[in-house]
Amino acid sequence: MRPPLRTTVLLAASLLAAAGCGPSEGNAASESAVAAAPVSDFSVYDLPSTWRDQRGDTLRLAALAGHVRVVAMAYTSCEATCPLIVADLKRVEASLPAERRGDVGFVLVSLDPERDTPGRLAEWAARTGLDPARWTLLAGADDAVRELAATLDVRYQRQPDGELAHTNGLTVLDSAGAVAHRQAGLGDTEATIRVVGELLR
Amino acid sequence: MPSLRALAPIALIALAAGPALAASPPAGKARTARRASRAAMVAIPAGSYRPLYGRPNDPLTVVAAFRLDRDPVTRADFLAFVRANPQWRRSAVRPLFADRNGYLADWRSDLDPSTGSGQAAGDAAALRRPVTGVSWFAARAYCAARDARLPSVAEWEYAAAASERQRDASRDAAFVQRLVSLYASRPRPLPPVGAGAANAYGVRGLHGLAWEWVDDFNSVLVSDDSRGVGGRDHDLFCASAAIGAADPTNFPAFLRYALRAGLTGRSTLETLGFRCAA
Repeated sequence: MRPPLRTTVLLAASLLAAAGCGPSEGNAASESAVAAAPVSDFSVYDLPSTWRDQRGDTLRLAALAGHVRVVAMAYTSCEATCPLIVADLKRVEASLPAERRGDVGFVLVSLDPERDTPGRLAEWAARTGLDPARWTLLAGADDAVRELAATLDVRYQRQPDGELAHTNGLTVLDSAGAVAHRQAGLGDTEATIRVVGELLR
Repeated sequence: MPSLRALAPIALIALAAGPALAASPPAGKARTARRASRAAMVAIPAGSYRPLYGRPNDPLTVVAAFRLDRDPVTRADFLAFVRANPQWRRSAVRPLFADRNGYLADWRSDLDPSTGSGQAAGDAAALRRPVTGVSWFAARAYCAARDARLPSVAEWEYAAAASERQRDASRDAAFVQRLVSLYASRPRPLPPVGAGAANAYGVRGLHGLAWEWVDDFNSVLVSDDSRGVGGRDHDLFCASAAIGAADPTNFPAFLRYALRAGLTGRSTLETLGFRCAA
């Protein structure tokens, strides 16, 4: 089907509720799923790219299969929204009953792999209070990052001054790596928490 | 035809293209032993240009020398690719890599690119039409199989700024106006490649045929706030203030950026094809 030009532009313009750098305006649009029917019929774990985690171990994304994962893309030297991304992830983590907390993993993928070496990721994770048993921080080649971002609908670009501009949000993957929920924007984790809860049932 | 003035309220707030330096390596999928036939490529010299979006004090975007396919990838080209790479045939493609409802949707079958409207299979002219209905993953895999890659936004825009005579015709109002007409009147179906005039670099068909994939299409961030820079959601990113378009009258460029902002890696459009760079 070929959308007319105008529709294409309007479609493009209505995309991406990217939250601003300040406190969230509760602007989280979400594309959610009934627990039985994932938003997507594909698995992110089919991506062949390799990554290094905060321990320096090399892995493919498929290594993350078997658990529900909440994934976001950010980077350690980001001062403004990245702490908010982590805050949202932590809020989801805290929403889990203690006995289920081991069933959900949190994944942060660096948009700045050049600076975010495994050592730096580990140090930042410790400083931020991320339990290594549940939190995976990944750095990969530029190409791999671009590809994963294209899969998760994350947009990013390096600015002339070296900073990164990027959209904000979270993705919930079911244990097979299918996208179960996309939270666009930050601050309103209600739907995300609900979907994670449904996946754990 | 849609009135382009009607599109004006949609102000796109996007980001200046950062310096686009040397080619990134081809996509990571394993290549097969057999490669698609070599396409004619044009050498584009290094240079700089002012992209559509930027702040007044931003340096010009630098583009290193690179090569670009003279013409878009054709159906014949892509047929050879899917013959050699069955995982990219329509019936086999993984949902992760392409929207299965649109991927090669107008092909008659896995190995028949003719569109079936009274056209004989293997009609040579039809096979030379640009391939469309391909996703970013598929386009990347095709280029990788040729030891090539997709061009970046900066490279594509830089090459496409040229008219037949001028390398940077982006400020040539008559040229921009011609593009407006071209975009509004794309022929259906698309003609075989090679028919139109080459631009000042020797590249053909960048305008008026299919839209084309770029490697970092998801580097374009767009706000839906039509109030532009002063709008509520204007600070899309951490470090800098939002910026507006350097040339708000360049509607063809707006359309290209808007299209990129609406795509995901598995998107397919009947109007979207690609060419490779190296």
